[in-house]
Amino acid sequence: MPRERGHDSAMGDALVERFLYREARLMDTHLYDEWLALWTQDARYWVPCNSDDVDPSREVSIIYDDYERLQQRIQRLKSGTVLAQDPTPRMRRIVSNIEIETVDADHVRVGSNFLLAVAREREQQLWAGHSIHGLRRIGDELRMHHKKVLLINVDQEMPLLQFLI
Amino acid sequence: MSAQPSIIDWDALIRGSRIHGRLYRDPEVFEREFVAIWHKVWVYVGHTSEVPKAGDYVRRQIGRQPVIMLRGDDDRVRVFFNRCRHRGNLVCHRDRGNGRELRCPYHGWTYANTGGLLAPTFEEGYDDKLRREDFGLTEVPRLGAYRGLMFASLSASGISLDEHLGQVKEYIDLFMDVSPTGEAELCTGIQKLRYNGNWKFLPENSLEGDYHGPFLHRIAFELHSRRTGLDLSSLYQNDVPDVIRSLPGGHMVEDYRGASVAAPARKPTPARLAYVEMMEGRYGKEKAAALLGTTPPLVYVFPNLIYVMTHIRRVQPVAVDATYVYYHPLLLKGAPPEINEARLREHEFGFGPGGLISPDDIEIMERNQVGVNAQGDDWQFIGRGLHRDRILPDGGSTGYTMDENHLRGMWQHYAQVMKQHAA
Repeated sequence: MPRERGHDSAMGDALVERFLYREARLMDTHLYDEWLALWTQDARYWVPCNSDDVDPSREVSIIYDDYERLQQRIQRLKSGTVLAQDPTPRMRRIVSNIEIETVDADHVRVGSNFLLAVAREREQQLWAGHSIHGLRRIGDELRMHHKKVLLINVDQEMPLLQFLI
Repeated sequence: MSAQPSIIDWDALIRGSRIHGRLYRDPEVFEREFVAIWHKVWVYVGHTSEVPKAGDYVRRQIGRQPVIMLRGDDDRVRVFFNRCRHRGNLVCHRDRGNGRELRCPYHGWTYANTGGLLAPTFEEGYDDKLRREDFGLTEVPRLGAYRGLMFASLSASGISLDEHLGQVKEYIDLFMDVSPTGEAELCTGIQKLRYNGNWKFLPENSLEGDYHGPFLHRIAFELHSRRTGLDLSSLYQNDVPDVIRSLPGGHMVEDYRGASVAAPARKPTPARLAYVEMMEGRYGKEKAAALLGTTPPLVYVFPNLIYVMTHIRRVQPVAVDATYVYYHPLLLKGAPPEINEARLREHEFGFGPGGLISPDDIEIMERNQVGVNAQGDDWQFIGRGLHRDRILPDGGSTGYTMDENHLRGMWQHYAQVMKQHAA
């Protein structure tokens, strides 16, 4: 039975929190392979466009990756040919307001907010939003199978999003 | 403050294959473009499928002027200036919406979705000379459509839309005709992007992917071909004639009908087979095979509409060194849902802020804007293919896959338009 938001998790809130912090650090420090290893094969990495709820079969997203696409994204980022990543931008994000939404023996759905600063040539950017992670317990560890990122500027003219969010 | 505007010698800035850097960075040039181009010529506003139901509207901008594209209860799509006739407030402040009536939030003046003023408020305070019919929303001076694409001109006079489009209609047909109903659907969401660069970099860059492709997009094209089986690199590996076209009116085309794109070697899915059958039903086997046997052309309709592979790009100037780009994925009305879903996924693969192809172009445009501040030799060189241009009787030209004759044509047209309105 899924439990209500805010309850102690059977999986341990600390474990979930550690996962989110680690994921953030891997993204910030461009450790692409390590980040990819957090995913399960049935991955869905989703950044909707225009509003938080779009129908991906009829409406466009900013990112709507399955595992294959995710691998391609990482392969390109690692190739050193992504111009917006040359020179590599310095990034740090704060992950906060972590709330476990549903939890059962081997699955947890957790929401969190982030504030991300990106320093790149010519400018410093601030990105903000809400992430929803679908995490699965595999052995002693957690893996992501779903991550949906709700950007606050989802319906505004935005700069390039050529890093992991 | 009202200094006499200086004279700009456009012919001195645009010399065939040499384009002066000032055209990308001078705020005065940018200002003149509003008068000569944006508030004058036919500008793409949107597609009728974006407002499918009566009362649907989308907000747009023509140059600096806010407009709405609105479908009325009479099913007609009109474009109005987005300005209340009372005190000039925006009537619609949302990006999109629906209303039987449009009510100005300031003093409550209310308009029918066909544009007429229903009622001013506290009407008893106006004398009886105030006639409602004099206070409807103002329509743009001229409006025209081609295959659902709505174009507006803010000038009451000038050439017709038909003349403006001319030959480019044939190429618009080619990307519209891959729809089994002949109709496009552009009500699919909009990726919105901002870059720090002049708007003219966008058409220049969008229509010459074969020249810059091997440098900017090598990895992305490799990944694309692995995913789809369609090898885009075959386009730039074969430099063949009659691909790059410059059309009268400043339009540009990459016409792939004569270029070989290695066909995907994969077994077609049931959805693909159903789609091919629909296409054959509509166009006959031969034309369907021709439409599906190649990649639709890349098309630029001067000044702000671009078609690339999966989508229409709308170009919106913001400042001399800032531009908004709107990516509207184009779906095929009536095609099997799997076909359209695959188009969306292909679009996201390449385009928008998080894509794997066009972001490299965007980054280049920002660097290009910085580059043209260096004025030691203040010229861009667009001379590839100059010695072998095939000039056509109508003034257009054709060139090889990686030639720059279309850019020369666009700039020639630009010079003409800017000179016409020099006064």
